[in-house]
Amino acid sequence: MRILATFEKQERLRHIGHLDIMRAMQRALRRSGLPVSYSKGFNPHILLTFASALSVGAASTCEIMEVSLDEPVEPGVFMARMNEALPPEMQLTGARAVDERRPAAMALVRAARYDIRLPEDATRTLGAAIPGFLAQAEIITDRKTKSGVKPCDIRPLIHALEMRENHLLAELALTETLSCKPAMLLTALCAFTGIPEPRAMVTRTRLLGETEAGAIVPLEEL
Amino acid sequence: MQLFDEKIEAMLEQVQKAPRYTGGEMNAVRKDWDSVALHYGFCFPDTYEVGMSHLGMKILYGLVNREPDQLCERFFMPWTDMKALMEQENVPLFSTESRRPMADFDLLGFTLQYEMSYTNILAMLKLGRVPLHREERRRDDPVVVAGGPCAFNPEPLADFIDAFMIGDGEEVTLQLTAAVRDWKPTGAPREVLLRTLAAIPGVYVPAFYDVAYNADGTVASVTPNDPAAPAAVKKCVVTDLDSAYYPREFPVPYTEVVFDRIMLEIMRGCTRGCRFCQAGMLYRPVRERSLETLRSLARDLEKATGYEEISLSSLSSGDYSCLPELIRALMKDLEKERVSISLPSLRIDSVLKESLEETQKVRKTSLTFAPEAGTQRLRDVINKGVTEADLMEKVTDAFSSGWSAVKLYFMIGLPTETDEDLDGIADLAAKVVRCYFSVPKEKRAKGLRVTVSTSSFVPKPVTPFQWEPQDTLEELKRKQAYLKEKLRAVKGVNFNYHTPELSFLEACFSRGDRRLGRVLEAAVNRGCILDGWSDLFSFENWMAAFADAGLDPAWYAYRRRGEDEVMPWEHIDSGITRRFLRHELEKAQRAETTRDCRHGCNGCGLNQWKGVCAYANPGHV
Repeated sequence: MRILATFEKQERLRHIGHLDIMRAMQRALRRSGLPVSYSKGFNPHILLTFASALSVGAASTCEIMEVSLDEPVEPGVFMARMNEALPPEMQLTGARAVDERRPAAMALVRAARYDIRLPEDATRTLGAAIPGFLAQAEIITDRKTKSGVKPCDIRPLIHALEMRENHLLAELALTETLSCKPAMLLTALCAFTGIPEPRAMVTRTRLLGETEAGAIVPLEEL
Repeated sequence: MQLFDEKIEAMLEQVQKAPRYTGGEMNAVRKDWDSVALHYGFCFPDTYEVGMSHLGMKILYGLVNREPDQLCERFFMPWTDMKALMEQENVPLFSTESRRPMADFDLLGFTLQYEMSYTNILAMLKLGRVPLHREERRRDDPVVVAGGPCAFNPEPLADFIDAFMIGDGEEVTLQLTAAVRDWKPTGAPREVLLRTLAAIPGVYVPAFYDVAYNADGTVASVTPNDPAAPAAVKKCVVTDLDSAYYPREFPVPYTEVVFDRIMLEIMRGCTRGCRFCQAGMLYRPVRERSLETLRSLARDLEKATGYEEISLSSLSSGDYSCLPELIRALMKDLEKERVSISLPSLRIDSVLKESLEETQKVRKTSLTFAPEAGTQRLRDVINKGVTEADLMEKVTDAFSSGWSAVKLYFMIGLPTETDEDLDGIADLAAKVVRCYFSVPKEKRAKGLRVTVSTSSFVPKPVTPFQWEPQDTLEELKRKQAYLKEKLRAVKGVNFNYHTPELSFLEACFSRGDRRLGRVLEAAVNRGCILDGWSDLFSFENWMAAFADAGLDPAWYAYRRRGEDEVMPWEHIDSGITRRFLRHELEKAQRAETTRDCRHGCNGCGLNQWKGVCAYANPGHV
């Protein structure tokens, strides 16, 4: 059977990279004693996938993983056993069984919501600039890729943007081919406003997927 | 706390490898600070990756945290970028778990694994705002203790450490924490505590000893100046490893560390008696954990950590009396969990090897052999019981079972070494290469790689070579160049060697006296920290530090000690008699070997712990 689970990565762990979090999750699966499936072949590994890699430096309340089990396990039991095996800063917040024929969550991600906490002094200027920022026909900013830095238009990738108190709330495209990282957004917004980039604490708060009817919904509900 | 935490968070965004400082690992302790009576800071004087690979830390961390009224948190040496930020932002060194400043702890325990980490201890105390000199510490300052192999010559650190624990730490650590816990609420002065500590067997309190020097600079005497202090401090020995504490869980780091696996200490001590090897002397007598204890520990540790690999740890795991049975049992117990067992590469019987190849993914990366010296004569001098025939047999075996990379470890600068012995190293390397080509092509793996790696000999306390001079830097460099030239002629061999300047400094501190504390202090002030990391090592700064202190490093490293010279560590009793060490030195000079203790007691002195050494002959004194 396949289980889809949501988990959080609290601020304390935000500097732990994606691969290290993956390994910690694999070890937790082993500690839990749950009947996890292994790949076949010479070097078997646990069949575990994450819906999306989270940038180093970001926390999250909504990471999604999928894992295959050799025997059926009640999702509630799965969650309880995993939470005993996981540190308090990396607990599961939900689990459910999903159809094994369904495409991997990784393939269904379309966008993500972020909460970008900013210092008080930067919020007023940046908040006031949002309407003008979004009214631009295009927003060119640098995208760092493996082959170097390339200019890229992120305007179509910004689905929503607002300032609430000192939190910049953004919904940004996140697909395998096109995505906008919160850091790129912040760089572009600060450049537009003409202020130096402030320290920011990024938390991913939702991963979003698309239904067959084209509606955007939380990924774990798909 | 809030502001302090914010500052730390801001710093973590700017440093390389922030996970060194974040904590929050699985199995890290999360005790309420105010719920315990004693706060112990385990301090590892090197980076997180090195410290988290250290078995002693895992043992003591679990041991103290098992006590309901005590907690143990970890401190590591921050990397230079973090250290600079902490100084700039005025943030004191903080614990990995609760981010408490070092000075908030009641007791700080450093582990002494390597002489070149001594300056990191000073740097950590400074960063932690703990008064550097023990004499400056007031009642509310932490009590600073240290233990580990280098504590057998504690003198270079005697100005900075309140008390040293000599020998096995499993029992004495809790006596120490209890003493501090009980003293804390009494309001009695620090000296009262120090007297209590000095009365614990195995604890050395340097304040209670006076050192007198001869006109030539050698030590004249080390004498107690307080009735609480014994004339000699005898090391602690855990007599039964099965009943000694061993952790059944330990923190599992997120990032990869040097040894990222379960470490199962199967025995302590070694019977082989290599004359250069300090660990082989210090960890005597040999004690084994029973098969049943090890099986139970392995099962629990696998469950608690989720690791997929177990390594059997000891000085000479191949000598464990029922190694094949142990490996078969562990393989059977942990087969379902897909745990692989990393083995001592040598001394595996062939039946076992077959069953291993069937069931395990044996990673055929590189096999390591340590002949240590290039000729039989010199191997006899150092009592390294390996012959060329042994080595060739093992190497042939390795090449025919699919290995193609072999590492050969040697030491240069060993007592009595001549250029002939260096030629011997090149010869051995060439024979290993020929050995590879003698295996039929279809049987051997492609891509032969032979690495010859040399370190420079450092005479260590409590070894037969403790009286011997180290080769001069010039001589070591000449020998390296000579060997490099010789090995150039051998196709397929890579040669690498340790920085001889580091070995020179190790030689100064390993047998150094109390006056060297001044050098350590000057060195830290000149920025000598994390010297084990070659990119940060500055020999010039160290030489300047010796000059600052008015001491000559050559006198410490190059001087042959007189037969009756009082050693700076004379008051630390390792249990090994000076007579035995001297006798071994004389045999070395005649290139005479001494048998493995398993074949008969050699009378080193450890039989004073009645019944602990399985090989002791009570008749020997």
